[in-house]
Amino acid sequence: MKTEDMIGRLAAELRPVRRLAPPLRRAVAWIGFAALVIAACVMLFGPRHDLMERLSRPQEAAQLAFALATGLLAAIAAFQLSVPDRSARWALLPLPAAAGWIGSLGWGCLAELARQGSRALQLDTSWGCFGFIVLTGVPLSLSLMWMLRHAGPIRPVPVAVLGGLAGAAIAAGGLSLFHHLDAAAMVLAWHGGATLLVVLGFLGLGRIWGDRAGARFTAA
Amino acid sequence: MSATALPARFALAAGTTRLRAQGSGWSVARDADGAWDGWLAAAQGGDARAYDRLLRDCLPLLRAIARRRIADHAEAEDAVQDTLLTLHRMLATYDPSRPARPWIAAIAERRCIDRLRRRGRTSGRENPIDDHAETLAAPAGVTGEDRVASRQLREAVADLPESQRTALRLAKLEDLPLAEASARSGLSVGALKVATHRALKTLRRKLGVEDDR
Repeated sequence: MKTEDMIGRLAAELRPVRRLAPPLRRAVAWIGFAALVIAACVMLFGPRHDLMERLSRPQEAAQLAFALATGLLAAIAAFQLSVPDRSARWALLPLPAAAGWIGSLGWGCLAELARQGSRALQLDTSWGCFGFIVLTGVPLSLSLMWMLRHAGPIRPVPVAVLGGLAGAAIAAGGLSLFHHLDAAAMVLAWHGGATLLVVLGFLGLGRIWGDRAGARFTAA
Repeated sequence: MSATALPARFALAAGTTRLRAQGSGWSVARDADGAWDGWLAAAQGGDARAYDRLLRDCLPLLRAIARRRIADHAEAEDAVQDTLLTLHRMLATYDPSRPARPWIAAIAERRCIDRLRRRGRTSGRENPIDDHAETLAAPAGVTGEDRVASRQLREAVADLPESQRTALRLAKLEDLPLAEASARSGLSVGALKVATHRALKTLRRKLGVEDDR
């Protein structure tokens, strides 16, 4: 088909569309939804009994703040990147918070190592943490991707990766409110590992999404 | 030194600006008055005329972007059509408080990159054939050596007597049943068999192929 003919057909097919709200406003709406989900989980499982005492420790408060900030900033970045004319540099937005999160966990490991010796690095299994982050983070991330489904032909992989990071980091932060692991090495391995796994899963999902969306927009 | 270098640098900068403006065509001048923003916003409201004008007006920009990224003209035009489909699909994401041109250009860049990447995945299994007109004329997969052999075969077939040639064509090339080949050629079944056998024998001899039997 000639391009000029295609323009005629597209114009003939035009239907009024409802404009999407600005990305920041939509991001705030999703963050509100995620906060409700996490609050429901905390109410369901009950906050940990020593929560206030734990949060009075600067390092643990920093871990929680960095985890939640990573999730919130990743969500904002995903909403911004889903609009074609926004800068690709929005993808960098959650990186400082993510670095702070990993850094605070790493610092915690070193501090415990200095205090307890090699015993601090012993890892036990904590499938409960892993399961919660995956089973809560993935649906949260999928709900974000559903809101950003128009981004498929534009930036599928960054949007999916940031969506995965947003869901998993918020789930990990929420988990700390009712089931926090005591050893920093355990938190790093299970919270960090589960988050990484979700992000990698969404990286693969983003590629498939991009291939499918791209094929739908291939004219010839 | 700086007295002469400075004006030269300004001249170069001015030249670059001019070149950029030429590269994206007259659409740049058209967009400068903000017409695209209004047309795109009207298109979101369902104004087909504004939409048609916008798409036709931004076509030179889309083509400039596609041709800058994709050397092959047909492929670049396909990328332009991909862009138009994507613009159509993503109309709801345009924010009328922002200029339309970066929104349109970003979609065009993305579709071109996407098309190049898809092409990159398959190009390892393809060979460029631009300079080989002869290869294009021949059926797919035919090499030069094959073509020489097939010419010799055609010449050898042409030298056969008429009846043998007809028998060979009907019985071997068109693979007709003997009864039908007999009806079409007017030869008896026995004569057909003999003619085909002789034709093959002659061809084997001429082409230097040993008869196994």
